[in-house]
Formats: sequence, structure tokens, C-alpha cells
Amino acid sequence: MKSFSKMVYPYVVWAAVMIVVPMLMIVLYACTVKGNSVLTFQFTFDNFIRFFSDPVFPGVLWRSLKLAVITTLICIAVGYPTAYVMAKLKPNSQAVAVLLITLPMWINMLVRTYAWRGILSYIGMSGEAKVYVGMIYNFLPFMILQIYTSLSKIDPNLITAAHDLGANNTETFKRVILPLSLSGVVSGITLVFLPAVSSFFIPKLLGGGQYVLIGNLIEDYFISTGDWNFGSAISLIMALIILVSMYVTRKIDRYTAQEEDD
Amino acid sequence: MKTERILKAAVAAAAAISLAGCGQTSAGGTTEGVDAKEVYGCNVLNIYNWGEYVGEDVISNFEAAYNAKVNYDMFDSNETMYTKLMGGSSYDILVPSDYMIERLIKENMLQPLDKEALTNLGELDPEVVEMQKVYDPELMYSVPYFRGSVGIVYNRKTVDEKELEEKGWDILWDTKYDNKVFMYDSQRDSFMVAFKALGYSMNTENDDEIQAAYEWLKKVHNNVHPAYVTDEVIDAMAYPDANNPKDLAVVYSGDAAYIESINPDMGYFEPKQGTNIWSDGMVIPNNAGCPALANEFINFVLTYDSSYDNSITVGYTSSNLKVKEDIANGDYDGINAYLPRSNYEKDEVFRYNEVLVQKLSDLWNKVKID
Repeated sequence: MKSFSKMVYPYVVWAAVMIVVPMLMIVLYACTVKGNSVLTFQFTFDNFIRFFSDPVFPGVLWRSLKLAVITTLICIAVGYPTAYVMAKLKPNSQAVAVLLITLPMWINMLVRTYAWRGILSYIGMSGEAKVYVGMIYNFLPFMILQIYTSLSKIDPNLITAAHDLGANNTETFKRVILPLSLSGVVSGITLVFLPAVSSFFIPKLLGGGQYVLIGNLIEDYFISTGDWNFGSAISLIMALIILVSMYVTRKIDRYTAQEEDD
Repeated sequence: MKTERILKAAVAAAAAISLAGCGQTSAGGTTEGVDAKEVYGCNVLNIYNWGEYVGEDVISNFEAAYNAKVNYDMFDSNETMYTKLMGGSSYDILVPSDYMIERLIKENMLQPLDKEALTNLGELDPEVVEMQKVYDPELMYSVPYFRGSVGIVYNRKTVDEKELEEKGWDILWDTKYDNKVFMYDSQRDSFMVAFKALGYSMNTENDDEIQAAYEWLKKVHNNVHPAYVTDEVIDAMAYPDANNPKDLAVVYSGDAAYIESINPDMGYFEPKQGTNIWSDGMVIPNNAGCPALANEFINFVLTYDSSYDNSITVGYTSSNLKVKEDIANGDYDGINAYLPRSNYEKDEVFRYNEVLVQKLSDLWNKVKID
């Protein structure tokens, strides 16, 4: 094994150059403003103060979080039963079901979202509802597949044992299947919530430009305004929120894992 | 539709490839056949232009005539172009708008053009050269490519032309048109509309005037709930959505000319309160890899054939005087958007002003956010 451990180095180098260095640059930009000809930049927290002192920006942040949370909840509500039914199918049918779920991903996300735009405006749906449909449609497969994987890994003997010990179907689900599948739900949340909170092209395409989210705001400050300092500050605030939510989901995951052991 | 244009482009590209194949065997045919590598020492040209902004055969004809290879990249806003250029990308030709050329000149990013190579400068429309003098006073760094204005595209069947004439930009906040309006999703263009509606200069730095413009835009936002779009407006007005047609849209003149040519119900109107007249120009940045060939390319674009191809494909007003007249009296006869208003005192050219951009960006986000 020891000889294989060296194979991790390319990734470490890659991650350092492509992820850590840019992150540090974002931190540097976020904590500075353009200086004068002697000092090219000055350290300050002005960018963060500017973000929180104007109700508009926290409002956008709140709206983005709300969109991501609701998208995630609906994905769980729709995805869990779907995954449960899939896991109960015959092995051959399961393979077909997985294929059907992944089938839309063969087509680029952007193209599919364009297609939704035509369909939804034909139906005559309003801006915000359109955004929700597009988000849930795009992220649902990730949730289903994660939950399905954890459900199909459950040893059927455990369920038989539960029945043997006198548990009815509801009881078995509540005390055996649900706790064992929670790890799938948690990784599903990670795969849906994190991209959802920072997504910007789905709201941009489907919201008709009437729906500003935190991702749009970052794009705006980097590209249209050219205010990289403020743009970086917003990105950093976003990154912190993502970090915190990852920490929380990890905690939940560990908590459930411990329960399983007990 | 866009797909139609893409198809056309694909056919043109296919034709170009087959033509290029023929050119190899029957060399020295109709074109004089310069070999760029021999004459200029390099034969690759990196061009960075707006999307949907070039004629179908201009690039392939140039490649054939100079035995050169063109790498053609596209941007969707001056700011995107600027950000990429600042990131260290190297291009031989850029086609930014007036205020961005002014900024690039100020920041010493451009090199002077080779006037001796530009033998076709005489073809330029004197009106567009007048506009060029605002941002490039010595006419040293740029050659005008297209020009245009910003106006309102309206549906002749649903909008009363008299009312439009009377109200001008202020028709955009009339509650009659609730959910019937497209605004352009760009702080520069939207604030221009507001400044002009209120009778101010669009290059103002006055805080009271900026605040008033913000309130004007907020009024539009609250009264008619406009959709903020960019290029989607072209297809949306040319082929209106049967369930949700829009009556009014803030549009660039060239896009309006295209819309009018597709959909005869649509008209183009430049309000009396004044508007933004703009031009885009070809420039050569300092870090160009092949400036001599770049000058040749600029000269090539100025020729009648290339200018005609550009203008007829894209719909914007040619800076080649003869092409402009021929198209205005020919294919685009009766399409008023092809000839934007000129010499009107209330029309202005946008100037580069970093302070104003910073002030407007927060406000523009506030307009769009409820």
C-alpha cells in the first residue's frame, strides 16, 4: 500500500495550485480595497460592512438560502419514496430504473434548462415557480441516486430479523430502514444544497432576469462592475456559509452513524 | 430565429472549407493571394469580437486571401472583454464600444494603427468619424466598425404611436403595459434611459440626479414588472411568445433592424428626450502577436464587400458610407432602425467614468431586487 500512497501527490499539487491558492487570493481581495500609488492595496473590512449594512445584500443572501433549502426539502420529499420503490424492484428492473434516472444527464444541463424555459412559458407559469421547477428538476436525480444507493446496501436479513422480533412494517421502516438510509440522505443534501445555493444560470434563464440571487450578484460585481474586492467579499461570505452547512451535515452524519453503533 | 442564423453560418463554414480545399489546387485565382507568413512574418490572427457581429464569409475570405488562420473568440459585454484582456489574454484585434476604447486608450493598452496600411479609410462615413472623435480625438487607435442607437421596439398593433411620440421613454412605466415590457439588463443602458427620461445628461455624476434616475427605474419596476433580458430580446420580439407577447422593449438599433425585417408588426422609435448613440471600433492591443496582419485585417473589413457582408448579416449600421446607403435603399428599405438618428442635440455618446459605474452598480441591483 505504501508505494501507492505516492499516487496522491499529483492531486495534492493540483488542489494546492487550483483550489487553495485561488481561495487565498479571494481572501486577500475580500479584505482589501484599492489603495493609492504607494500602497497598492489597503487592508480593511469595509467590503463586509458594505454587504451587511445595506438590507439589499443580506436580502439576496436570504433569498438564495431559501431557494436552496426549499429545493433540497422537495428533493428529499420526492426523492426518498422514489428511491424506496426503486430499491424494492427486481434487480433487472432496478438497473433500468437507474438508467432512466440518469438518462437526462446525458444531455447538457444548459440545454435542458433552455427546453424548460419553452415548456414553462407555454404553460404560462410565473417567474419564481419556474425557477423552482428548473432547480428541482436538475438536482432531483442526485438525491434519488444517493438515497437509492444507501437503501440498496441494507442487508435484507436485518428487515427479516425486525419482522421476526415482532415489528410491523411501519415499525421496521422507522427503526431499521430509515436510520440506515440517513447517510444517503445526508450525502444527497450535500450534493443538492451546495450547488443549489450558488447556482446562477438556472435562475437567470428561467427567472427572466427578475430573480437576483447571490450567484448573479457575484457575477455582476466581477464582470460588469469590475469591483473584484466586493465580489470577493460576497464569494467569501458564500464560502463560509457552505463551510458551515457542510460541517453541520457532517455532524448529523456522524450522529446517525453513532446511533447505528449503539 | 437564432437557429436559422446558426444553420446559415454552418452552411457558410462548410462552403468555406470546400472552397479552401479548391483554393489549394487552383491557387492564384481571383484574389491576389498574399502569403501572410512571407510578408508579415506571422499568419495567425486572434480576434475578439461581440457575438453575432460578423458577416458570414468575412473571416473565411480573409483567410483565403492572406493564407492566414483566424482564431475568433466572442464576448457579450465590454466588461467581459476588458476582464479577459486584463487577465493577460493576447489578441490582435478587439472590437469594443466607444467608452471602452476611451478607457483602453487612457490606460495605454492600445497601439497606434498603421495609417499607411489602412488604404480604405476614405470609405468611412463622415458621421461615424464625428462620433469617433469623442473617444479617439486624434483618430489614432481605432477604426469604426458599426454604429447604432438605443430605442424602443414597439408593437404597432397594440401601442398607440401618438402616445409613444408624446411620452417617449416615460411610456415604459405606464401601468397599461404591466408585464408587457422588456428592459435591457445592463446598468449602463437602463440608467441612460432614466437619465434621458428625466432630461439629464447620461454622463452625469450628480448624486441627486442619480437618485432621481434610480427612483424612475424603480417606478418602471413596480408599475410594469419588466423582464430584464439581454440578447434574448431579439428572438422574443421577432417571434413573439403567443401566450405572453410583449408590447415594448428597450433595444439596440441593429437588433431592432433585424426584428423589423423579420416581424413587420414591430416598429422602432427613438424618443425625443434623447438617447445614447454609440459606435464600436476595431483596435489593436499592445500585446498583439501579429500587428501588421491585424492592420491588414482592419483594412480588409473596410472594403465594400466585407462591410456589406457584415452589415447585411448582423443588421447594424455600416461605417462604410456607400454600404450604408446601398443597404438603406436596398434590402433594409423602409426599416427605420437601420439609419439611427444623427446630429440631434439631445443624443449623447457614453463616456468612460469609473466613479459613475461604481455608483450605479449597487443601485442597479437594488432596482432589480424587490
